[in-house]
Amino acid sequence: MSLMLSQPRIDVESPVVPEVSFDPPVVRPGQESIYRVAFNALDESIAWPDKIPAPPALSVQPGGHAQMLSLGGPTPVFLPRTGFNYHVRASGTGQFTIPAFTVNVYGKAVTVPAAQLLVETTPTNGPALPQQLGLEVAQANLFVGQAVWVTVTCPGFPAPLLQGTTPVQLMGSGFIIDQSAFRQRHEARPRFLTGGQGVVLVFETFLTPIASGKLTVFAQGFIGARPPGPLIITGPSFSSAAQPQYTLLDSDPLNLTVRPLPAEGRLPGFTGAVGAYGIDSPEISTNQGRVGEPLKLTVRVRGEGDLARLVAPPPPKTREWQILPATPDNMPPQFIQLQGFTTLQFTLIPLSDHVRGTPPIPFSSFNPDRAAYEDLTIPSVPVTVQSGSIPADLQVLLHANAADADEEKEPVLSGLAATPGLVAGSLVPLQRQIWYPLVQLAPGAAFLALWGWDRRRRFPQEHSDILLRKRARRALRREWRALQKAARTGDSARFASASVSAMRVACAPHFPAEPRALVGSDVLALLPETERSGRTGQVVRRFFTAADDSRFAPAPSQSLQILELKPELEQVLHELEARL
Amino acid sequence: MKSTSIAFLVLLARAACWGADSTASLFQQGVEAYRAGDYVRASTDFHKAAARRPASGTLQNFGNAQWQQGETGRAILAWEQALWLDPFNRSARGNLRFARRTAQLDAPDLAWYEVVSSWLPVNSWAWIAGLSFWLAIAMTMLPSIFRWRKAAWQQAGAALGLAIFLLSVPAHLGVDCRSRIGFVLQKETSLRLTPTDEAQVITRLPSGEPGRFERMRGRFVLIRTGRSLGWVQQDEFGLTCPNN
Repeated sequence: MSLMLSQPRIDVESPVVPEVSFDPPVVRPGQESIYRVAFNALDESIAWPDKIPAPPALSVQPGGHAQMLSLGGPTPVFLPRTGFNYHVRASGTGQFTIPAFTVNVYGKAVTVPAAQLLVETTPTNGPALPQQLGLEVAQANLFVGQAVWVTVTCPGFPAPLLQGTTPVQLMGSGFIIDQSAFRQRHEARPRFLTGGQGVVLVFETFLTPIASGKLTVFAQGFIGARPPGPLIITGPSFSSAAQPQYTLLDSDPLNLTVRPLPAEGRLPGFTGAVGAYGIDSPEISTNQGRVGEPLKLTVRVRGEGDLARLVAPPPPKTREWQILPATPDNMPPQFIQLQGFTTLQFTLIPLSDHVRGTPPIPFSSFNPDRAAYEDLTIPSVPVTVQSGSIPADLQVLLHANAADADEEKEPVLSGLAATPGLVAGSLVPLQRQIWYPLVQLAPGAAFLALWGWDRRRRFPQEHSDILLRKRARRALRREWRALQKAARTGDSARFASASVSAMRVACAPHFPAEPRALVGSDVLALLPETERSGRTGQVVRRFFTAADDSRFAPAPSQSLQILELKPELEQVLHELEARL
Repeated sequence: MKSTSIAFLVLLARAACWGADSTASLFQQGVEAYRAGDYVRASTDFHKAAARRPASGTLQNFGNAQWQQGETGRAILAWEQALWLDPFNRSARGNLRFARRTAQLDAPDLAWYEVVSSWLPVNSWAWIAGLSFWLAIAMTMLPSIFRWRKAAWQQAGAALGLAIFLLSVPAHLGVDCRSRIGFVLQKETSLRLTPTDEAQVITRLPSGEPGRFERMRGRFVLIRTGRSLGWVQQDEFGLTCPNN
């Protein structure tokens, strides 16, 4: 708290004075000028409009927007400064004015004065370029995770001053900037317009894309120049005259194309290392060890890429070694980059005296130049392990290791299926589809039909009397037709024979017996007592007698009287048929 | 008449072959687009192929393409559908584990009968139940109808058929319950207290979160997640069996 209180306060009480300018104020048609607006106020306090009131003939693209605090004033205070940049172009000649407009700052209306841009085919004072940052990237087509050097140049100031620990910012989304890898230097570069050499300040850092697609990045930063003339400080105070003038500069946007890492061909031990890497031969602290004694395995990874951010491969799980995760290189990132390699150090504890070498540690990287994964597996190093007593805590590790070794491997995204595989008509299960119950009805119907057929087949066997009666009725009708035919032809012998047969077949099911075995008394037995002794009985006897006579008599009598008994016979037959 | 029938059958067969060729062509185009890094095109092709002829491999590839586009929910749904058709698809199972580990998501909690139903392809249970049931009926009825001599194997066949049928009943129940499982498709999907746009938001669900379909009202679906019950918009929730 005391540290906070000892900090100089931020000046929010001074009158807000907006500064407006076109840089350069005179351009040729199509040339870019930068419309700059700066306030001596905090960014959060400024209600900046989404769109500035520019004339339609001007093409306006938003650029940098940032805030800085600089120490100054008679009593040290932080002086805020907020800048807004717009990249402006005019296709035709003329004088273009962005009119004055009002902005709320600290809740009060502040008028941003008008600014004029003169567009001439041949500027009077010769060609001029805006004060801009340069942005260069080593490669514009990248893979996700591929670190690339970004260079920001700050030309045009004889003695550029930087503000803050991160002098420039790289703006955009879908990437990360390694702030710790920032490095800067002065460089003499040729001047574009005036010729000769000029000193430029060069900043370099790593940019690592973390999203695929089209990314846009631009640089911005407050760059200040100290006013010319001697600076004399006579007492313990700040001289406002010595305050540099800070200007927000930005760069043109830069487009990057970022592709995702392919899923195919991914090798074990890939931890996101993207770049051209290689490993030196691993070194082990000693080739002679004892069970339970830790060994140090050191391996250097060299290559082009963000070595400082390299993630060591996870230690493999084996039954015979307890391997602790690798410790990262303790060197500052800048030194790691300068020396061109990083060191990974694994601690391995042998848990058995059967081992003859360290286990290979799977490791791989993705080489963007070849667009392929490369195997960097740390090879086995021969060691001799002597037996020894395993401490109790290591015994626990030994058991844990044995269990872990059986665990399934770390899942990874698979490649594509080569064939469509198991095909279905629909994702809806069969039992929910309308045709499924209908299909199930088919065997049901078949079994029902079989059952019906079987039942029908078995019925006569189980009810033979019905069958006999049915057959008897059929035979009776047949004999009846025969006797009628005989009656029509006047064949009394045949008539009598057919009549007897008819009565026999009509009576046979009642006994049951073979019809031919029946005699007249059997027929009469089926008739009521009154009929048996009456006229009906006589008719039955006559027919049996006539039939016997026609069959057995040496000279059958051709009596036509028997034919006259046909109506009475039919009455008897009707009666017998009714009893079937 | 006969020649007309033959021509009709030939036309039908050609139409079926054309459909199969077209699906295979879409599948191949999707594979090529995926390998070229054009995941949007690959997704479209695999989606069309799966819509025409749902297949485990096609759905697996569709899930891969969706995953590459950052569509976690749709990828998980596609892989679940691939397993729904073919539980022996190890790649789809591995992808689901990978996706859930990466996105810190839980798998749906399955009851024992749902686990049983996931042992075999979803359609195989219907065939198993149908065949085993009619086997039991046949082994019971046919000897008596055809007056075969009673044999032990007939009774064993009938008992086996009946046992398989009875054992498949829980799997049928599991299939029915699993068909109601779905997954949140959009990131930060609002789980609402009531089926209205102005409803109070109970919680936000991550893409790929599993839920069970309860009922529908208008364009909202009542789902039960592992922690709560609420309404989500219909297009924010995809069911494993989409015709529910």
